[in-house]
Amino acid sequence: MSEKINITLKVWRQNRGEEGRFEVYQAQDIDTDASFLEMMDIVNEGLTLAGKEPIAFEHDCREGICGCCGALVNGKTHGSHEQTTLCQLHMRKFKNNEQIVVEPFRAHAFTVIKDLIVDRSGLDAIIREGGYVSVKTGSAPEASTTPIKKELAEAAMDAAECIGCGACVAACPNGAAMLFTAAKVSQYALLPQGHPERTQRVKNMVAKMDELGFGNCSNEYECAVACPKGIDVKNIARLNREFIKASLVK
Amino acid sequence: MNVKQTLLSSIGQKLLLATSGLVMFLLFLIPHMGGNILFLFGPDIFNSYAAHLHQLVPIVIGIEVLMIVSITVHMVMAVRVTLANRTAHDKRFTQKSSQERSLAAKLMPVSGGMIFIFIVKHLLDFTLGVAKDQIALNGHMVNDVYGMVLAKFQQPDQMVFYVLFMVAVGFHLSHALQSSLQTYGLYVPREGSKIKLASTLVAIGMAGTFAIIPIVAFIR
Repeated sequence: MSEKINITLKVWRQNRGEEGRFEVYQAQDIDTDASFLEMMDIVNEGLTLAGKEPIAFEHDCREGICGCCGALVNGKTHGSHEQTTLCQLHMRKFKNNEQIVVEPFRAHAFTVIKDLIVDRSGLDAIIREGGYVSVKTGSAPEASTTPIKKELAEAAMDAAECIGCGACVAACPNGAAMLFTAAKVSQYALLPQGHPERTQRVKNMVAKMDELGFGNCSNEYECAVACPKGIDVKNIARLNREFIKASLVK
Repeated sequence: MNVKQTLLSSIGQKLLLATSGLVMFLLFLIPHMGGNILFLFGPDIFNSYAAHLHQLVPIVIGIEVLMIVSITVHMVMAVRVTLANRTAHDKRFTQKSSQERSLAAKLMPVSGGMIFIFIVKHLLDFTLGVAKDQIALNGHMVNDVYGMVLAKFQQPDQMVFYVLFMVAVGFHLSHALQSSLQTYGLYVPREGSKIKLASTLVAIGMAGTFAIIPIVAFIR
């Protein structure tokens, strides 16, 4: 059974180029079946009716698959309930009269655009360096034309689960995009279609990651804890192997 | 990417850190620990070990050169990586670490800095410009290294300093060993990892063995 709870919301407010600050709002009579974003919608309706600027936050599918939403909730990315995006976090996880602190995903490479919206285009820039296969493949081929081992197909699918939300970067004590890049490199390195370009792919993607000011991996695994899709650090080991192999090849 | 760009990339720098660290661990720390243990067996054996080490001067100098190169590479890369990470992190007001992040991992720059201070003091204490007394051993006169170590650790402050800094060595190794393997691409799992466990046990074992020497010398 759902119930109604009251929440004190302490949210980061900031306009681009200005200093940010936390502001406190009351969220009254929130249904515990509401999602976190629906609670934010209710608060925003109240703010709009009161003639105030609503809290800006990014969202799209609200089904946990698009990678748009995300914030530090009580100090944890996506509120850090195992493998849950912010849109899939529900208010039943909170207590009546609890204070919830919401801060944007922060890293040097993620500048705040407005309130909880940060510029994650750096991740897209890394993808542009090789997160694709650059040949026209036509329509889908017959499935058994290229036999692929079940374990490899599964590992590639696991890596491909990454939705690019940026939680790994925001959770990393070094603001590194290693888990993201590792997932993207892995999904191609594991499949034959990705092999012709694998050397150049890993070099270019790592170079872009460094150029954009993402940090270095110190193998503390905060990224894997934060990942709403359960991307494993096994992919980082694979990225390191791919990089070493690529460096040894002319 | 040319060689320089590769080595100075984020993964390249980590590989240099891991390699220089492992060189120091395998070629210096392990043999050094083996030698130190001989202290426990009394003056004759320890002084004899020190005298034999002197006869191996070409090898010792070779290892010393390798050590200076490794320490330099390790420190330069550590400073570069740490500074870059500080910038890349950006200030987070409310972030909480998960239990995943070990204290050893958090304190890597601190324990690393402590180890550097320790190395300098250690060299000043026992190696650089230290006049050693002579003692007879099997009819030869040799340096009384045992007596020198014993005299040093009879002072409580020196004993405590050495033991304290061995804790830093233990912390540093416990993260360093497993982390270097992951950097080389050997998968170190997040949960229930035998590599992580082995890394911790080796670190505790080594730091403990090193720390026993000053404690035993203090008691003797």
